[in-house]
Amino acid sequence: MTAQQDFALKRSQEYKHALFVLVISIALVLVFLVNAFDVTEGTWNKVWGSLTIAYLVIACWQAIILFCMKRDLLNTGDIQKRTRLMSAVNLLTILVGNVFTTTFAFRMLRRKASIEYTISYYMLLTQLLIVSVSLLNLFKPYVSDMFLLTMAVFILLIIFDVVAVVIFGKVDTDRQIKPAFKWLGIALIITGFSGNIFGCILGYSVLLKSTNRDMSTIEKWNKIWSKITKNFTAMLGLLFVIFTFAISIASYGTFVYEFAVENNYESMLLEPSLANPFGTDNFGRDVFSRIIYGARISLIVGVVSTLIPLVIGGFLGAIAGYYNKSIDNVIMRILDVLYAVPGILLAIAIIAAFGANTVNLIIALSVGSIPTYARTMRANVMMVSNLEFVEAAKALGEADWKIIFKQVVPNSFAPMIVKATLTIGGAVIATSSLSFLGLGVEPHIPEWGNILKVGSMYLETNPYLAIFPGIAIILLVLSFNFLGDGLRDALDPKLD
Amino acid sequence: MLHEHMEKIKKSSTYSELIHRYEEQYRSKKLYFNESISEQEMQGEATKLANERVLKMAQAELETTDQSNTNYQHFFAKCLQNRNFVIVSFIPGILMYLFLMIYARPLVRYIFERLVMTVFVIISVTIFVFSILHFSPADPAANILGESATAEQRAEFDHRYGLDQSYWVQLWDATKGILTLDLGYSYTGNEDVMASIANKFPVTLTIAFWSLLMAIVIAIPVGMISAAKTNSFWDYSFMFIALIGLSIPNFWQGLVFILNFSIKWHILPATYSPGDWLSIIMPVIVLGTGLTASIARMTRSSILEVVNEEYIVTAKAKGLKPSRVFINHALRNAIIPIITIIGLQFGGMLGGAAVTEKVFNISGLGSYIVDKQFVPDIPSILGGVVYIAITISIVNLAVDILYAFLNPRIRSQMKNT
Repeated sequence: MTAQQDFALKRSQEYKHALFVLVISIALVLVFLVNAFDVTEGTWNKVWGSLTIAYLVIACWQAIILFCMKRDLLNTGDIQKRTRLMSAVNLLTILVGNVFTTTFAFRMLRRKASIEYTISYYMLLTQLLIVSVSLLNLFKPYVSDMFLLTMAVFILLIIFDVVAVVIFGKVDTDRQIKPAFKWLGIALIITGFSGNIFGCILGYSVLLKSTNRDMSTIEKWNKIWSKITKNFTAMLGLLFVIFTFAISIASYGTFVYEFAVENNYESMLLEPSLANPFGTDNFGRDVFSRIIYGARISLIVGVVSTLIPLVIGGFLGAIAGYYNKSIDNVIMRILDVLYAVPGILLAIAIIAAFGANTVNLIIALSVGSIPTYARTMRANVMMVSNLEFVEAAKALGEADWKIIFKQVVPNSFAPMIVKATLTIGGAVIATSSLSFLGLGVEPHIPEWGNILKVGSMYLETNPYLAIFPGIAIILLVLSFNFLGDGLRDALDPKLD
Repeated sequence: MLHEHMEKIKKSSTYSELIHRYEEQYRSKKLYFNESISEQEMQGEATKLANERVLKMAQAELETTDQSNTNYQHFFAKCLQNRNFVIVSFIPGILMYLFLMIYARPLVRYIFERLVMTVFVIISVTIFVFSILHFSPADPAANILGESATAEQRAEFDHRYGLDQSYWVQLWDATKGILTLDLGYSYTGNEDVMASIANKFPVTLTIAFWSLLMAIVIAIPVGMISAAKTNSFWDYSFMFIALIGLSIPNFWQGLVFILNFSIKWHILPATYSPGDWLSIIMPVIVLGTGLTASIARMTRSSILEVVNEEYIVTAKAKGLKPSRVFINHALRNAIIPIITIIGLQFGGMLGGAAVTEKVFNISGLGSYIVDKQFVPDIPSILGGVVYIAITISIVNLAVDILYAFLNPRIRSQMKNT
């Protein structure tokens, strides 16, 4: 292998992506295989078995694609059209729910990477996932009144998304974008209100490029998003986060709240089936519906208990960093006191005093993480306030608070965004941990920690009750962490 | 003084000699220029010059003679040679002596300042946690005695535990109790709080210690491999696993472990018992997973940051072996942020121990706090939280001091300030 060939392999993001998809597919095959074969009885489970076979076929096909890619890259330095068409077959894998291969197939279909195209197929995938998860409700005894209407809207959205994918697959948005595209952008933003935030991002991007004449804004936007869209793990994280958000909104129309909270003593502790994909708990409640409704709480608590310390800690940190010596010392020494107590322990103490409910949980989690945000903000403000433009603002006689909040803070905010994304995951874990201890969300509300608490009591007889909500937590937290890592690479903040 | 000296010189013969000499000078000058000599002018000129000269002489004389006999410095320097004086001076000057001893050496000064800070933090944490618990709307008397208790019974209860006293008195008692290791009796069970904490804390610390050890032993080599082979298959796999480790909730991991290792395969016991070494394995792994993951990530990123520094390039240019460059130059410099993260994460781990202890039914300090919080049992919670905070503060203090000893950059910085 010559150095050029080696470089071609290393440079190709698509090759890396293909390898990642192959490894993940093989790992999934192994997981399904373990589940499909019951060691003690020596029997095969039909559902898991067929899934294993399907994923095995996908993995083999992926391996063939990978081999072709490698050959193309080594011989010509570029991926050939035939290989790209071969991977188009993998679009079908969405039918068995392998989003990894599907996203890869979509990516391979366009020769040159494009921000809009990438976001549009992720938008389509999110919509498909929402519809397929919602369709599971058809196996229930009855569906909600709004079900048909909501599903009709979703089908329309899917058609619209497919159109968007085709348009952005053909159009080069950096050169041949016309002012007429702004109506498409507005339409996309409106679809984003269904919870599919990809629509908002895509719409904004199109709107920006079709109306704005300021090239520097477009340039900045392109720089950040091209880095994020190239990073497939970050995009997968974003996909799951947005899916969780969208399904929480969609659940208002497609899910029946009674299945999640009302006791049904005829169907206690049932095994997973099509009607109850994750089984039922000790009160006969459908665990699948409970997990879907729990996503709402987890997201709200996670996001709010990150936003509050972000604002308070950011404010204190900005003041401490901008004004030197005495104010800095006072603020930071007070925050040191909060910093000395571990977050969970502080939360337990606060909840012990004021009682366990959602609002107290949010406050308790927020208080503990104020110091870390303040420290990050302070370090950045100290760095930024020595730069020339701050001095220029001072020389122009600008008021201090205006300098802080118009010049310094916007320029030192990137690390805060990264930090916030990375800590939402921690907040989600803390929420469910405290609920598990009985110190978090009220026990009757379907929340992932509460569901797990019930599950932990039936660990010997019905382990799935504890396993599925745990996987939901891991996936959400992992997604936030992937997204945070991707944002860090894209925004490239100078973290201390 | 100066005046005295001048008078003295004027009275002596040198003065008249001087005048005489200046008169001669004046005369020869006038003769040379062929000018008339005015006696009066000559005398005036000579006296003036002589006076100037005398002033200089007097000054010179003063400088040479010993004039410091009225000086403080001299006086004390003499006194200090006296042994008894030194001993006696310690009575009023002890604080000053200490101050000088501390501030003369930057390292000692740094340690001293960190110590003061730690004491401040500990006392503030006590006040903060006590205030939260004190102003809670929950009423321990009502929670323990039940709905049916009469007002007198409740008053009796409040009196027994000092709850009827004012906030300041209670706060003083609590702070004193924390510092003197005497927190009184818990509301439920009426047991000595300090004795309970002393029983339970070692359990938590043992598990935390082993978790820490496991984390360091696994994470640092993993991080080193990832950093040495960046963007390789192993790097991606390790970092992916580390990210999963960061994302797993402790309690869920614990439940899955119990499900597989205890219920299905019967390898390890599901609950912890102090004498049984097998039973500690699962709690240690569960508690240490998050720490392992974050140390591994930190090791990788801090080595990668260091690898691009100029001294690494220099070392490579000198022709050192890559392995030597990596271990002696890169790792040695990268270890500093790793130590910080270990110190910080250790605190988080002690806090998170409550959840793990509940899952494995360990009677440690964390689960003690959780058990007592429903009342709320103020002395128990206060004691538990504050002693954990103290432990963390001491660990961080130790890390900071270790830092100062290890890192030559910080040492030289301290000397410069």
